[in-house]
Amino acid sequence: MELSFDRLTKHYGSRIAVDRVSASLTPGVYGLLGANGAGKTTLMRMLCAILEPTSGEVFWDRQEVTAMGAAYRNVLGYLPQDFGYYPGYTAAEFLAYIAMLKGIPRETAQRCIRELLETMGLLGAARKKLRTFSGGMKQRVGIAQALLNDPRVLILDEPTAGLDPKERVHLRNLLADYAGDRIVLLSTHIVSDVEAIADQVLVMKNGRFILRGTVPELVRRAEGRVWELTVPAEQARAWEKRATVANLRHEGDRAVLRVIADERPSDDAVPCRATMEDLYLYHFGQEA
Amino acid sequence: MGLFALEHKKLWRKTSVRVSVGLCFIYVVIFGGALNYQWFGLGSEGDATSAFGNRFDGRTEIRASQAQAARYGGLLTDEAFQQMVSDLQQYDAAGVESLLGRSERTLLNGWLGQLYPELEERDRGLYSILMAYYVDTSRLTDFYARRDAALEDFLHSQGQWTGAEGELLRGMDARVEEPFRYRWTSGWQLLLGNMLPDVGVVMALFLAIILSPAFAGEWHNNTAPLLLTTDGGWQRLALAKVLSGLAFAAELFGLLAVGGVAAQLVWLGTDGWDMPIQTIKLLAVAPMNMLQAEVYEYAFALLGAVGYAGVVLLLSALVKSNVLALLTSLAAVYGPAVAAQYLPVGVQKALELLPLVGSGADIFRTNTFHIFGKYIWSPWLLITVPVLIGLLCTPFAIMRWSRRQRA
Repeated sequence: MELSFDRLTKHYGSRIAVDRVSASLTPGVYGLLGANGAGKTTLMRMLCAILEPTSGEVFWDRQEVTAMGAAYRNVLGYLPQDFGYYPGYTAAEFLAYIAMLKGIPRETAQRCIRELLETMGLLGAARKKLRTFSGGMKQRVGIAQALLNDPRVLILDEPTAGLDPKERVHLRNLLADYAGDRIVLLSTHIVSDVEAIADQVLVMKNGRFILRGTVPELVRRAEGRVWELTVPAEQARAWEKRATVANLRHEGDRAVLRVIADERPSDDAVPCRATMEDLYLYHFGQEA
Repeated sequence: MGLFALEHKKLWRKTSVRVSVGLCFIYVVIFGGALNYQWFGLGSEGDATSAFGNRFDGRTEIRASQAQAARYGGLLTDEAFQQMVSDLQQYDAAGVESLLGRSERTLLNGWLGQLYPELEERDRGLYSILMAYYVDTSRLTDFYARRDAALEDFLHSQGQWTGAEGELLRGMDARVEEPFRYRWTSGWQLLLGNMLPDVGVVMALFLAIILSPAFAGEWHNNTAPLLLTTDGGWQRLALAKVLSGLAFAAELFGLLAVGGVAAQLVWLGTDGWDMPIQTIKLLAVAPMNMLQAEVYEYAFALLGAVGYAGVVLLLSALVKSNVLALLTSLAAVYGPAVAAQYLPVGVQKALELLPLVGSGADIFRTNTFHIFGKYIWSPWLLITVPVLIGLLCTPFAIMRWSRRQRA
């Protein structure tokens, strides 16, 4: 089971959204990290075969996905960014509607819908209209619809957006359980989510993969670039302007800064253990 | 079928749809039907306190008017016509306003003006007085011969007397049964001349509001990316949307028709259903009675609505914006009506074949279409072509939406 893409490129006029990216994904959880505009959503849409690449191809088990058509969509589950829904439908009706579109037999669909609503903690709200749902509840419905056809490939564009911490942990655990022999690709801005469940991380910047590897491998790249130093509180703002500050906390009239820098930022700075967030900030600190 | 049911349910679940349907029902059935019969259309005249000048007594007044008309024996002979005008003059002389109001003076005066123009006295002072109030009733003879002459003059003036067109129209008129059956006509005049022709116009507005987001709304809701990853769902969904849109048009029509007929039965009853339409439009040539005309006008509205739904669905599939879909949908029905006055007659007539652009009231007219050397009475094309246009639009809507989804 393999989802691969080769020199995948997407141009919008003169702007290059995705620039010749290639990868081969096998079962496991993949985290796609990148700042806004890095090309994550464009890449995911091309992987879902809903956006035609300018050049390059996507393969599912060595077959080109556009040529596979419905056969590929049968193995695919997708949660788009800013997931759209029909406010007048109840959660159960919405899932039944998507199940119908996915060609799932009615009896199977009803069983799946009940199970997914239960898994997502939405069974009690199954008969309530989506317009009454909170952002987190809607997002859970979105995830449930992506899982309806028990997909081999699950592509989730910012699935944790709008979820509270408890819901995020729940979703992370669910995806970790679900992955097993499936391919799960998720994009997020929340680095800790990727850190917690991703077997592999792909970091995108300006339409290209700038890093890829396991979390420990990537974290190691940030080692030696994370420093902690204590400065007078009034100097904290100046430090934020001239360096990438990952964290700032006040202790009395002093400020403790966590700074990302290639070289020791000051003589009294001490090195600390790096995290994925540090790595992210190392690459995207200026954009953020 | 299941997808159609869900799509259909989704459509009816929208608050905007329910509000629109409610407003449409209120306007057409309550305001244009019940209140029109009971109050400002057929209520008795003379209430100075009412903005409409009518009293809230339509049902009673209708029954009295029907009873008054029934006294003339049910057939419009010369004698009956003379008696009707004579009675009117007596009521006028006696100053019996209530009886005058029920005497169909507008109708009688119209007949007099068309058939007996030589009896009009033009030197009756500053204020024109209805002919019906002063003509010598003994001179009101040869009603049907005079009608034939008036029709001939009319068709001559329209260039429709000779040739195949004249043959068609005269042939139709020859099938009109004489003497005309006669009962009280004002109710039918209101129904067939005003209320039913307006149904299509009002439906067009609400169908545009309700159906224009059918496809364009998926972009607005941001559901398109989701739908595209379903197993061929975008095609089946497009079909379900088209079917539910067409079904909705039929349902909206059904709602208005059932309400309209119910109001009609409560207020007008069935009295006079077998009168020829010539009793309300003297120079009409169609051999139709009131019931047939009503069926035609309802069929015109239904088929026009279904056809228009097809056009709106296509426009919705062509654009990604709800607002643009709405504006183009409204332009498709009201645009030709606005532009018609600036266009050649041939183009005007062609535009009338677009769904809900023409009028169901064409059954009262002598318009024809000349196609492949054959003359066809316009109502037959006005009832068939719009629905065909709409149905032809639907495959393009499905294809266009499917293609656009992948762009």
